[in-house]
Amino acid sequence: MGDRGRGVEEIVLEKLKTDKVPESVANLIISAMRGGTALEYEQEPPPPDGEPRLSYLKGITAAGFRGIGPKITLPLQPGPGLTLITGRNGSGKSSLAEAAELALTGQNRRWTDRAAVWREGWRNLHEPEPAAIEVDMTEDGQHGSTIVTMRWAADADLGEADVFFMADGTPHRLADKGWSKPLELYRPFLSYSELGALVSGHPSKMHDALQAILGLDLLIDTERALTDSRKAADSASKAATKELPALLGKLANHPDPRAREAEKALGDKLPDLDALAALAAGGDDTTGGVARLLQRVADISMPDKEAVAAAFERVEAARAAVVATAGTKAADARRLASLLSFALEHRSEHVDEPCPVCGGRVLDNAWAKAAEASVVDLTATATWVDEALEEQAAALHALAQLIPAKPAVLSVDLGEDADPTEASEAWDRLVLPSLSVQAYETLIAPIVALQQRATTVLKERAEAWQPIANELAAWVKHARDSQQAAVLLADLQKALTWLRKVGKEVRNERLAPYAKTSAEVWDMLRQESSVELGPITLEGSGPQRKVALNVTIDGMEGAALGVMSQGELHALGLALFLPRATATGSPFGFLVIDDPVQSMDPAKVDGLARVLSHVARTRQLVVFTHDDRLASAIRQLQLPATVWTVTRRERSVVALKKTDDPVKRYLDDARAMARTRQLPVQVRAVAVAGLCRGALEAACYEVIRNRQLSAGVPHADVERALESAQTLHHVMALALFGSTDHGSELIAKVRELGGQASVNAFSYAKRGVHEGVNGDLKRLVEDTETLTKALRG
Amino acid sequence: MSGPRPPVPAAGSAAPEVTPEELLTWADRLLTSPVDGLGLWPRACALVIRLALEQSLDRFWAGVLPEAAECGMRQQLLLLPLYAPAPPADSDFDDDASSLAREAWRGLARAAHHHVYELAPTAEELRRWHTVVSRLTVLLAAEPHDAVSTL
Repeated sequence: MGDRGRGVEEIVLEKLKTDKVPESVANLIISAMRGGTALEYEQEPPPPDGEPRLSYLKGITAAGFRGIGPKITLPLQPGPGLTLITGRNGSGKSSLAEAAELALTGQNRRWTDRAAVWREGWRNLHEPEPAAIEVDMTEDGQHGSTIVTMRWAADADLGEADVFFMADGTPHRLADKGWSKPLELYRPFLSYSELGALVSGHPSKMHDALQAILGLDLLIDTERALTDSRKAADSASKAATKELPALLGKLANHPDPRAREAEKALGDKLPDLDALAALAAGGDDTTGGVARLLQRVADISMPDKEAVAAAFERVEAARAAVVATAGTKAADARRLASLLSFALEHRSEHVDEPCPVCGGRVLDNAWAKAAEASVVDLTATATWVDEALEEQAAALHALAQLIPAKPAVLSVDLGEDADPTEASEAWDRLVLPSLSVQAYETLIAPIVALQQRATTVLKERAEAWQPIANELAAWVKHARDSQQAAVLLADLQKALTWLRKVGKEVRNERLAPYAKTSAEVWDMLRQESSVELGPITLEGSGPQRKVALNVTIDGMEGAALGVMSQGELHALGLALFLPRATATGSPFGFLVIDDPVQSMDPAKVDGLARVLSHVARTRQLVVFTHDDRLASAIRQLQLPATVWTVTRRERSVVALKKTDDPVKRYLDDARAMARTRQLPVQVRAVAVAGLCRGALEAACYEVIRNRQLSAGVPHADVERALESAQTLHHVMALALFGSTDHGSELIAKVRELGGQASVNAFSYAKRGVHEGVNGDLKRLVEDTETLTKALRG
Repeated sequence: MSGPRPPVPAAGSAAPEVTPEELLTWADRLLTSPVDGLGLWPRACALVIRLALEQSLDRFWAGVLPEAAECGMRQQLLLLPLYAPAPPADSDFDDDASSLAREAWRGLARAAHHHVYELAPTAEELRRWHTVVSRLTVLLAAEPHDAVSTL
């Protein structure tokens, strides 16, 4: 068994480690894997009471579901054995199979891919209410039944049912059972359409279906997710290149000089995306050419009228101050003050001597005093005049400074959008001190006009650029995404290559034990068909993936699938399905197969009956079939089975009738044998006794399994007890007391069940086989039947 | 091409000197080489194999329980496990005389009669029955043993 029970996820994680897959690649695989089914597994908490236990079906109940109107219950014998449910198409039998599958798995393979209209018809037409499904099960070690219930409110959709199971009288979440993973792995449900899908249809679909049957859905899902991602990454990595021609076309038609720059940058093998982004963001147009000149024009700063007027006023005031000095010569005053200062200095050493300049007047004290006063006055006068002149000069300078030097931009060609000539000439005449405020205003008019023109042109250009700038920006973003996608693409490619390699290993590892069983099943099914089934392998990857069935016909290899009949293909599908569902790791002791017989020829039906009967030795096998062929094969080949017949009356009233079971068959045969007068009575007696013993044993087995499994006795223990019960005596004790230790009380208990007649029947079945009997054989068969009825309660 | 024309005995009225082995040889010849003028060969073949089965059982009963040969097939099939020798130890689970006989009888009883909607048996089916009856014949020809001890 080994890996079969181990999750695919676990195996993949382990191999990722041992293969030293780079982290970026490994992460892609893990997230692809967890994005799908794995996530659901993870969300499922570990079941509160440990691993799922071996379970069997005790009954399937449905009401208001598909073909079933009023509530109907199909009782089932827990434990290994074959139960056949036959009914015409439309009798409601498939509805029962689907109900069980839906309640346990939450889905039905037959519906999954159907159109909505198909899924919507799930409610019974005649009795849409109440709609409910119950699956009654036994579990090892679990006393009493586990009843999985699916119930719909009056207006609920198929997917909106309440699903729970009852235990200890309270509802629990089905997820607590921990079944979803084993259901995926061992899937104990198979329908006809699934069998068909296995072998018909596209080779890759068969591959995927087989993978699913092998419990490898996770690998498919992961590969599909990675393939999708790769596809997305691939188209993303090419998106920018793909969009480029359109963008270049628009740029070529755009007058903006930035379009030229962008075109140039885009021409490079590896365009400078940063530069392109700057261009796209360049709404303020600083990139040169005419635009830059216009921007300079717009940026020229002219003094406003108030400033000019103030400057003129200052000049006027300064002029007035200078006029007020009335021609006073500051230099004369300063010179005279200086002369008097020198004379006073001279006098200080030549007191009362005549003036050395004129030689006249004696420079006495009175002169000195007057001269000192004059020096002060003269100096003050000179300062005043100086200041008035300085202020006048400063005011004129300030006025002149108001007008900046003529910008060079007024002397160049601004292209067709603006002509600077007039402004330039006006500027030349802007020599302010010689002008008035009014003249200034007149003169600057052409300059202001030019500036306004420049601003308008720039604004228009920005408006014209913006849309394409947006496109450019979007492209730059795509190009960046594409660059990232290209990196991702390489990793995804590596991830896919690795996953496919590992997938192949895991698949064929997992396939090997199944393939062996498949070949055995096929050998049983094929009868004398000349088709031989060799090793099965899953091959190829991606769209080329397929199932390689090594099938030979009359020893010749060839495209065998093509020449196999539909019935053979279905038989093959079954051969592929059974090994998985019967794997020992499965916690499901049961297996539900819907209509495996269709399109099988009679010989195949015989083979199928044998295969099913073989499987039923270790599994509870519930088979739904639409005609009597399988039931008749089983009956005529004397294979043990319980057969139910389903009939559907008007208004979806479905009825179930048990038409055959091992007990009944033994009794029928015993009766037939008892009537056979041709035979010596001793021979008849021995044969009838053997058949009566068979009937009693079959009834006991049924009772033992039913009782003990429902009481939670592990299935393995039940089977061991049955095996060790060597004689009818032991088997009867096991059925009546639950153990083989009650030898002495047994007869009393049998008498209690059906009086002396039952004791006679029991003794006869025990001993008659060896001794024969003298007596009424028919009567003994009737007594045996009475006892079986009493046993089964 | 004309091969030796096999006798096609009427069902149930075989000449006693024809052994089941001989009948099976004829059936094998019908299966492997075409026979002129025998368009219904599958049914003819089924009849021959069925006859071989009946002869084989008759011969067996003659040794252990002559009365059984007078009974219907149902009874014979029910009695077979009580008297038939055990299959070789290495054979399949359903290789016992009773299973073999049941399988062959189920097929042959149906094929040897004309059913309106049922087609003639295929070569594969005939081959299967031939194999089964051959095995059964070999098994029943072995030394019979005490009936009671098998139970």
